[in-house]
This record gives sequence, structure tokens and C-alpha cells, in this order.
Amino acid sequence: MAKRRKKPARGRLPLKGGRKRVLVVLFVPSVERDGTTPIKQDRWVDAALEMFGRVFGGATAYPKAKGIWRDDERDGVLVKDEPVVVHCYTTPADIEDPGNLAELGSFCRTMGRNARQGEVGLVIGDEYFAIREFSAE
Amino acid sequence: MKPHLDMNKIALGLRAERKGHVSAGGGYFGAMQLLAEIEARFRVPVGGGRATDPEWTERRLVPLAPRTLKRLEAITEDVRARSGVSVEPMQLAALLLEKTTEQLNEDEVKDLVTVRRRASR
Repeated sequence: MAKRRKKPARGRLPLKGGRKRVLVVLFVPSVERDGTTPIKQDRWVDAALEMFGRVFGGATAYPKAKGIWRDDERDGVLVKDEPVVVHCYTTPADIEDPGNLAELGSFCRTMGRNARQGEVGLVIGDEYFAIREFSAE
Repeated sequence: MKPHLDMNKIALGLRAERKGHVSAGGGYFGAMQLLAEIEARFRVPVGGGRATDPEWTERRLVPLAPRTLKRLEAITEDVRARSGVSVEPMQLAALLLEKTTEQLNEDEVKDLVTVRRRASR
């Protein structure tokens, strides 16, 4: 006889923390802050995917895009690069978890420091966050 | 429904600075990307005149349907109203043409030719 699937108790969500409806976007650069020295972008994309997979349960890296940003600390020089955009859907509870935020922030600072960036950009929900201080914890 | 997030708590946890709102939706985000690209790329030529992309050095006469020109005019008007960026309808046409041709891959070009051949029989 086929087993009946047990229904979740009334009022209780089957998944911890609710549905994954918060979009987190990370931009992985292709060049250093000088705009010419290439970085090991593939390595950072893989590392980002692993971090998002471990901390938030999954992510998707899209093909390279073309980007530009103005470095105001270097007389407004325009830095052109080809970033990879990584999308991760997570839950409100998971993105507000201090441990998860510490891991995400730590990853961004490591990437910013090792890849010699001026800024690492993150979009969470509908807000842009800039990480510019890359000192180790 | 839009989830309510404590952005200050997130910024603190990340040791990041809140820089402002963005829209991660489909159509609107696409429009904003277009705006950002126009603002970043268009430069006033050294000798003066209308702002343009310095890489656009070729000029061709392109026949258009009146409805296409009307649509281009409407979009550029919208861009001007939203951002204050002044872009001419044919500059927008050049930008769209450039983006589309860059995105087309070999297979899509083959498909395009096949469809045209079938249609002309």
C-alpha cells in the first residue's frame, strides 16, 4: 500500500524561513581598479557560487556583461570592465541572519582586497550596498 | 508581496554602506540599464556639437517605417523626461542596432536567413 505523505501542521510552513523571494546580486569584476590588470575572474565566480550555495542554498552566474564605473578617488577616471553578475534567491530570514551576513561580507572584502578593487557592489532586495573597506576581520 | 527587510541591519552585518534604491525588475531595470549606458557613453565632441558616441564614425541613410520613427521619438522623449538625458531618435536607433547585432549569434543569423528564404518563395 502506498504511503500517504504527511501534511505539514496547520499554520506551519514546510520550509524554514519561508519562500526564497529576496534577490541578492553580486558583481564579480574582470579587472583591477586600474582598469587594465586582469583578475582571475573565473576563480572568483566559482568561489562566489560556492559561498552562495553553502550559505544561501544556490546561485546563478550569468555570462559576462559590459560595465563602467567612475573612480572618484582617482580624479574621476572611468574604469571599464566585463563583470559577471551572480544572482542568488534567498529568504528574508536567511539574508538578515548575522552569521550569513558576516560570511557574505567577508567574501566581498576578500575579493575586494585580493582583486585590488575600489568598491565591491551588492544588490539586496531593492537596495545597492557598497563595500569599500577591505581590511581583514 | 515585497518582503520587508531591515536594510540597516543588513548594512551593519555586511559592513557595507547603503547607497540607495535600485529596481531589480524586468522591464524597468532594462530601461534603467539603457539610461545608465547612454549617460556613461555619450560624450560631447571636442569641437562642440551634440553629444554622441565617439566610436560612431560611419553614416548611412536608413529607411524606416513611420511607426518605427514615432516609437523611437516616444522612447527618447521618455528618456529625456525621466533623466534629463537628451538623446536623438536616430542615436537611440544606432544604440539598439549595435546591441542587437552584438547579441545575435551564428545560429540565429542562419535562422534569420532560412526564414527570409522561405518567405520569398
